[in-house]
Amino acid sequence: MEALLTVTGSDYSQDMVKATHDTVADEKSWIRQAKRADAQAFEALYRLHVDKVYGLCLRMTGNVSEAEDCTQEAFILAWNKLTKFRGDSAFSTWLHRIAVNAVLGRIRKSKREHDRIQAVANTQPARVVTDDPGELRDLAEAVDRLPEGARHVFVLHAVYGYSHDETAGMLDIATGTSKAQMHRARRLLAQQLKEQGFEQ
Amino acid sequence: MNFDDKLDQTAKQLRKEISPERDLWPGIEQAIRTPQRRTPWYAQAAAVVLLVGASSGVTYLAVKDSGPVVSVAPELIFEKAAFGGEYHLGPGFQDARNSLRAQLDAELDRLSLQAQNDVHENLDVIHGAIVEINTALENEPDNVLLQQKLLHAYREELAMLRRVGGLTRNVMIRNDI
Repeated sequence: MEALLTVTGSDYSQDMVKATHDTVADEKSWIRQAKRADAQAFEALYRLHVDKVYGLCLRMTGNVSEAEDCTQEAFILAWNKLTKFRGDSAFSTWLHRIAVNAVLGRIRKSKREHDRIQAVANTQPARVVTDDPGELRDLAEAVDRLPEGARHVFVLHAVYGYSHDETAGMLDIATGTSKAQMHRARRLLAQQLKEQGFEQ
Repeated sequence: MNFDDKLDQTAKQLRKEISPERDLWPGIEQAIRTPQRRTPWYAQAAAVVLLVGASSGVTYLAVKDSGPVVSVAPELIFEKAAFGGEYHLGPGFQDARNSLRAQLDAELDRLSLQAQNDVHENLDVIHGAIVEINTALENEPDNVLLQQKLLHAYREELAMLRRVGGLTRNVMIRNDI
């Protein structure tokens, strides 16, 4: 964490590169320590990645409260499973997968997702929770109103850039289903956004 | 640029990192700092083996004796269930056990000495497992696995007494505790 805070001075880009290297080294060190049940090291990992995890949870749930719960659950799950992390993928990717599982787990456990959709549908405009500017905000709100399956695929594939195979793997669905949901998402988003002159 | 292209391009520009409105760490810290001392797997396995063994042994005793099969464990002192310090053995369970023990006490003398010893040995094994699980629960009161094992142990105790005595009371259920 200190490495991130020491990025000052005139040669910003050089410092930034150094900070990135330092952060990678720090992250590996924190992972090693956290695997030995060092909560302080895990807190450092949390501080480093919380925005990524929360961002994903918020995009997937479209609800601040649920996103907070999912983020906490994801980090608790990560703590419990940390010894199984072998470094085959980036730690952030591993965390993303856990966060997706946390979101899906919560949805499976409760019917709040249904309630959320109803609440959003009955409230215009949808709550702005991401601070995206202008056109981006329109898209973010439209994504938020998508049905669960289409929203999850759109967020993972279109926003986060995961391939359809990866998206399908994370959501535990077939690749074809992922593609179909993406098509559905495009169609629904088009209906919402074209009225706002989005295509111009 | 058509709609799909613009949609893809705009979607990629959406912020991927968003700061939560409040610090979520305290909740996480509280969860992960809860005592995580796990009962060794071999200790848990041993407890299960002991329970199964004891249960099987008593079943064998009940089957092999042609005469009335009676057993008793009048001297056993059972620990209180340590379900998070908030639960105690319920009156339903206490009543069932007391009733079984009273009936078995009455028939104790009709049991052969060898059978009495065997039954006592098996009851001791189950009691030992109950004590061990309760001890582990004191350190890890929210461990659901241990809670289930303890419940299972108490069920085994009742079931064994019931089998040996030929009694037919209802099996204890989770709500009894």
